[in-house]
Amino acid sequence: PEPGGCCCRRPLRANGCVANGEVRNGYVRSSAAAAAAAAGQIHHVTQNGGLYKRPFNEAFEETPMLVAVLTYVGYGVLTLFGYLRDFLRHWRIEKCHHATERKEQQDFVSLYQDFENFYTRNLYMRIRDNWNRPICSVPGARVDIMERQSHDYNWSFKYTGNIIKGVINMGSYNYLGFARNTGSCQEAAAKVLEEYGVGVCSTRQEIGNLDKHEELEKLVASFLGVEAAMAYGMGFATNSMNIPALVGKGCLILSDELNHASLVLGARLSGATIRIFKHNNMQSLEKLLKDAIVYGQPRTRRPWKKILILVEGIYSMEGSIVRLPEVIALKKKYKAYLYLDEAHSIGALGPTGRGVVDYFGLDPQDVDVMMGTFTKSFGASGGYIGGKKELIDYLRTHSHSAVYATSLSPPVVEQIVTSMKCIMGQDGTTLGKECIQQLAENTRYFRRRLKEMGFIIYGNEDSPVVPLMLYMPAKIGAFGREMLKRNIGVVVVGFPATPIIESRARFCLSAAHTKEILDTALKEIDEVGDLLQLKYSRHRLVPLLDRPFDETTYEETE
Amino acid sequence: MNVGVAHSEVNPNTRVMNSRGMWLTYALGVGLLHIVLLSIPFFSVPVAWTLTNVIHNLGMYVFLHAVKGTPFETPDQGKARLLTHWEQLDYGVQFTSSRKFFTISPIILYFLASFYTKYDPTHFILNTASLLTVLIPKMPQLHGVRIFGINK
Repeated sequence: PEPGGCCCRRPLRANGCVANGEVRNGYVRSSAAAAAAAAGQIHHVTQNGGLYKRPFNEAFEETPMLVAVLTYVGYGVLTLFGYLRDFLRHWRIEKCHHATERKEQQDFVSLYQDFENFYTRNLYMRIRDNWNRPICSVPGARVDIMERQSHDYNWSFKYTGNIIKGVINMGSYNYLGFARNTGSCQEAAAKVLEEYGVGVCSTRQEIGNLDKHEELEKLVASFLGVEAAMAYGMGFATNSMNIPALVGKGCLILSDELNHASLVLGARLSGATIRIFKHNNMQSLEKLLKDAIVYGQPRTRRPWKKILILVEGIYSMEGSIVRLPEVIALKKKYKAYLYLDEAHSIGALGPTGRGVVDYFGLDPQDVDVMMGTFTKSFGASGGYIGGKKELIDYLRTHSHSAVYATSLSPPVVEQIVTSMKCIMGQDGTTLGKECIQQLAENTRYFRRRLKEMGFIIYGNEDSPVVPLMLYMPAKIGAFGREMLKRNIGVVVVGFPATPIIESRARFCLSAAHTKEILDTALKEIDEVGDLLQLKYSRHRLVPLLDRPFDETTYEETE
Repeated sequence: MNVGVAHSEVNPNTRVMNSRGMWLTYALGVGLLHIVLLSIPFFSVPVAWTLTNVIHNLGMYVFLHAVKGTPFETPDQGKARLLTHWEQLDYGVQFTSSRKFFTISPIILYFLASFYTKYDPTHFILNTASLLTVLIPKMPQLHGVRIFGINK
């Protein structure tokens, strides 16, 4: 690895294997020529002048052209059939299931915009059985799903009464396996439930400030390594209610392309100017920062009151990790503020589970506002913001959540406290450390196996969120249903939630998944991948060979 | 499919025509249409070309200039409800590559059709009229304009 810059270079692998395209006539091409030929892959191995203490491997393989064309043809056919069905429904040849206005209201201004519902009626309804599946057990490594049937093509569902037991759960954000109904967390929460009850019945500023909340906030501050922290009842509300308290009109927000809806909503509610930089692209961010400082506000050219950079630790739809060392370097250079949303990365990354700051080995004091949620790795609900004491004191008085929203419920607080102490090792066991290690091993194993099978996987090698690309609209429905038939529950996403040619299935790995569970899941994914022809990757990793490469082994590269 | 939107793009319709492979799919679609028309034994080559041109322009008019709004709900409370797809492209920025491509392609089809119909007067009138219905709405001066209240 050479210092000084990201390179689109594919080094020969350490174990001596070569991959597709690097061998001609049995001879290995030099890696420079191979890099020129490997144009379809964007593979960043960054060792950027010492900013990164470990290799940053992120890959987003481009959509193969044939697959893109077939995806458009698929959407085209679905659109044409949608128009046909709408025509039939309009002329009453087909039964109309969706909401329409009554005949008496025909002459009024229309209540429903028919065309905006087009995708929902004609595409989403066809494969609606892949979402909103009711579960009836704790969402651990395995979950029970209530079986439902539809006799009118998903317009209505009937419960058969059966429960599909023991479905392998690849969709829950249960990174450290704390979604349990037994164990020390549950016992502690039950005791607190008996003592404090469930409801708080007030906001933080009135009479809803329990001693449990103070205890939690001190613990969160020590966990993150910041001066103070504040906890809120809902993770989404933490973002959308606190960003307006931090920035306002005359401030600039630089937000990543793929930021979560809560960050986007908070940014819009604040009234600040929003500029979007390309996902994880530091050149784009630097250009925006430079332009903002040189040109100032749009018409008056006055300097911006504040520049706030909004990024996430792990982006849950891409599986990518933010380039935090570079962002912090940029923020220091241009004197902007950084708001880091660690919803998915707290507890899931880093050798001690302290999140993306720990993962890169950076100083938590460099991040101005550290936000996170307790929903994912701690098995509870709610969110927090951590930072300097002045910031948190300001938020205690000015945040909308503190003034208007009910505070966290006591059993939930106890769950967070117990799980956090477990992760930090303060409960006297090594359970936390084992969970973190198990998650890291699971992540690496799962991603490697999927790549070897030939699927296109997005994201960073260390992120426990694994998006598997499906591309075609029909395969979205087919994948979800086939996996449920084989007793595995997955989450699938399509257009318009993702770009039109990037529909995906998203796996969330958990420390609760044992190797057997992962192997079963991988076997089924392999089968379904062959059945649905999902193995699009043209850069297959050759399974590990022990012997060093020599010219006559070229046939194994295919 | 609102299971958590994965991007902060307010209106995905603006970027659809820029996506990878869209132009190729469009060209292949026109080629397929032409081959199907050529395979019908009743149509001579000039008739097939004129029909390709007319049907292509009709389809382009309907999908780019007649249908308004988005087929899905957008988080901007319907700013694009009264805009056709052409007007939504790239949020109204003129002369982007997609707009240039979709302006040039009916013109190329028109040239080919004129050549293969040997500049016959009837075919000429049909082809030119159909080309004009597709070219005039694309002019930047007509952005948001509804002549005679058509398609308001």
